[in-house]
Amino acid sequence: MRRGHDIAARYAPPVLSFIAGVVAWEVVGRHTNAAFLVPLSETLDRLWDLALSGELWSQLASSLSIFAVGFVLALIVGAPAGMLLARVAMLRRALDIYITIAYATPLVALIPFILSLMGFGFAPKVLVVFLFAVFPVLYNTVEGARSLKPELVEVARSFRSSEWALWREVMVPYTLPFTMTGVRQAIGRALVGMIAAEFFLSSTGLGQLIMSASQNFDTAGVLAAILVIMVLGLVLMRIGRAIELHFARWRV
Amino acid sequence: MSVTAIDQARTSAFRPRLYAGIAILVFWEVVVRAFAPAYVATPIGIVLAVPHVLVDRAFLLGGVITLAAVAEGLVIALIFGTVLGLVIGQSKLADRALRQYINAGYTLPMVVVLPLVSLWFGYTGAARLATIVFAALFSITVNVADGARSVPQEYLEVARSFRSRSWRALFEIVLPASTPYFLAGLRLAAGRALIGAVVAEFFTAIPGLGYFILYNSRTFHHNEAFVAVLLLAAFGVGFDVLVNWITRRYLPWYRRDELTG
Repeated sequence: MRRGHDIAARYAPPVLSFIAGVVAWEVVGRHTNAAFLVPLSETLDRLWDLALSGELWSQLASSLSIFAVGFVLALIVGAPAGMLLARVAMLRRALDIYITIAYATPLVALIPFILSLMGFGFAPKVLVVFLFAVFPVLYNTVEGARSLKPELVEVARSFRSSEWALWREVMVPYTLPFTMTGVRQAIGRALVGMIAAEFFLSSTGLGQLIMSASQNFDTAGVLAAILVIMVLGLVLMRIGRAIELHFARWRV
Repeated sequence: MSVTAIDQARTSAFRPRLYAGIAILVFWEVVVRAFAPAYVATPIGIVLAVPHVLVDRAFLLGGVITLAAVAEGLVIALIFGTVLGLVIGQSKLADRALRQYINAGYTLPMVVVLPLVSLWFGYTGAARLATIVFAALFSITVNVADGARSVPQEYLEVARSFRSRSWRALFEIVLPASTPYFLAGLRLAAGRALIGAVVAEFFTAIPGLGYFILYNSRTFHHNEAFVAVLLLAAFGVGFDVLVNWITRRYLPWYRRDELTG
């Protein structure tokens, strides 16, 4: 009895507020100008059409390929570079301030430069995603590796561990959980980078879906595309958090 | 760490930083000169562009407009975000009912709202302001809520046993206790607000720093455009430093090691 009450107290508010949100969208949408907002039902209709015609899937695939390539490159570069910086104290001391600055700089401001240098292809978009994603990975890896206790390295050394073994047995396992925190942050940023690239470089993928709908004053199309991106964001975030939690178990 | 030790660490880091900075700039200059078209920004070109950019009306006006819009949007986001955050942090019911919307708003890439706000507000400053508020609101809400939740229950119990009124407990316990979280949220929000302003100007082509960058890079004045990027970066870093300083100076009890470390 008590247990049933707890479950109700836990799940009733989100479910009810979700339903309230859906109803509010529908009702407000029916009573406002269609250029402003359209009802949820119309938006879902539009989404269904996009899914049936295959446009949704091809644009989603196009966006995700940019995301994946840029993100993987950021990981391949960011994590090893971060560990190298952590291992070589001199290099870290020399470069940490520049990494902080790059991390705090609004990178979107660089997009016009990338556009006029690299044009409209696939590579400039990947570069944008890469730039957005690499600094969280780098920053968190350096921060993590910096907190590595010197005793651990000393013990490894006194057992005559080679540099390679030190990396394999101490550096990488210790730093990986911190890198994964960076990975979670990088996922969110890479998503922003992906959409920004598709808006401000050449229109492709989900960005194009929104842009062309917006230019045709197709409010339902805009909202449908935003819904897709929202779901994509929530799914990617969930994955990021799962990865972070999985590795957090090692954290000492 | 003692004061002298910190000083030593600072001086020992100064030289490598300086050398690395010089190396980066030289590398940039050389690579661009060797491989890139003449209009591409180089460190020397940027330095030479600074004097005439600083007296350029479009730059000065753009800077004022953009920063004023960011400040205005931040104030609006602060008011609504703090109220929303306090409600969510204090009431489990509100938390459970609203969390999904806050999370959705927080994870939605803010660039996505640009077509929507430009449909709603036209290609105007109002669209930029709406983007800034959207960009800043949720990080403040989430952090204030975390702060309000983190208030030790004993403090509130003590207040209650002294028959303190609930609004007094709110203003004298909950708000001060969540101030560090609020500042952390503000720091995040300021960065996001700045990005929001820039992307809104890219999208709507209304005057401001973002538009200055867009216009100059399109007309192949990369050096001039880069001066504006530096101003944006300086603003972002400066705000970080300011918030860190406030936290250390006025809230010294809060996670001192984490901030200095």
